Amino acid sequence: MFCLSELEDTVRVPPSDLNLPLEVAIKKALQKLFLDKVLSIGLCVSIYGIKSIEGGFVLPGDGAATYKVVFRIVVFRPFVGEVIAAKFKESDSNGLRLTLGFFEDVYVPAPLIPTPNRCEPDPYNRNQMRWVWKYGDDEFIIDDSCQQIKFRVENISYPPVPTERAEDAKPFAPMVVTGTIDDDGLGPVSWWEACAPISDDED
Amino acid sequence: MKANAGTLTNFEVLDLLNSRGASNDTTRVIAPISTSEYKVYDYLMETPACTQTQEIITNFSDQCKYFKLAKAEILNIINIRPSSTVNLAPILEEPSERGIDKKAKEGILKLVEALLPPPPIVEARGENEEEETEEGEQS
Repeated sequence: MFCLSELEDTVRVPPSDLNLPLEVAIKKALQKLFLDKVLSIGLCVSIYGIKSIEGGFVLPGDGAATYKVVFRIVVFRPFVGEVIAAKFKESDSNGLRLTLGFFEDVYVPAPLIPTPNRCEPDPYNRNQMRWVWKYGDDEFIIDDSCQQIKFRVENISYPPVPTERAEDAKPFAPMVVTGTIDDDGLGPVSWWEACAPISDDED
Repeated sequence: MKANAGTLTNFEVLDLLNSRGASNDTTRVIAPISTSEYKVYDYLMETPACTQTQEIITNFSDQCKYFKLAKAEILNIINIRPSSTVNLAPILEEPSERGIDKKAKEGILKLVEALLPPPPIVEARGENEEEETEEGEQS
């Protein structure tokens, strides 16, 4: 789910940091610029290392020094088909929302929840709906008592920044991962631990 | 700008954070690691990555070659550490069309069992009575 990306960028080191060793100052500026931000390549998680630094010019009217830096960052960008373990965050009539802690915009839309299922108002939480999977005679509830929920990545999208938004709309998500839990081994981990080794239906 | 200069396993990212002192600093103020990086660290510590080492991963990838798995599948297996056929199923793409039969799947699982250490037992949250005794609990 993580990969390295090499980038080149112009970095401005503010005058207050110029007493620090150059690499430290540049790393600090890079962290401020990139850490926890979504780029076109994914969510930037960490600065891996600096490859080269050039420049150091001070532009007129500016006390800061400007450098051209080539560096590598660790990016969170899952591939389509990857199976990832996440935790339940919330659910509504459109589907589930899962979280990885550092990334909270994983959505499992209703069509990707195993059928037959039903959506009912959550008795514990008035604003939420909860999803229940019916398998044979058993019913399995999906809510936050599920320890870990495994999903498979179907799609990653980067919605454009909206120019207008309704007052009560959810905070804008610059990167959205759509997942499915409709397959063997996916969904809450507890569903599969109760089962004895199942014979493969695919064979 | 190279968008993909190499994929990393969960272990390698955890190792990076550990090398900068994530595990040593209980106050989380001294080590040069930001709050968002700690969130990644916390996530990874609950995955099989926290019991792996570089040698284990290299060894496993080498041995996997026998099964003709895609690189993405090997990465996924290392990150998830499937312990049963049903956990392995969503990772493999069209196994029957590639000649990966039940025997091959069992072979892969045996390799996982032998080479990759079991994941940590995730503590039950709140009032959840079902304490998960994963296969990590070797009696």
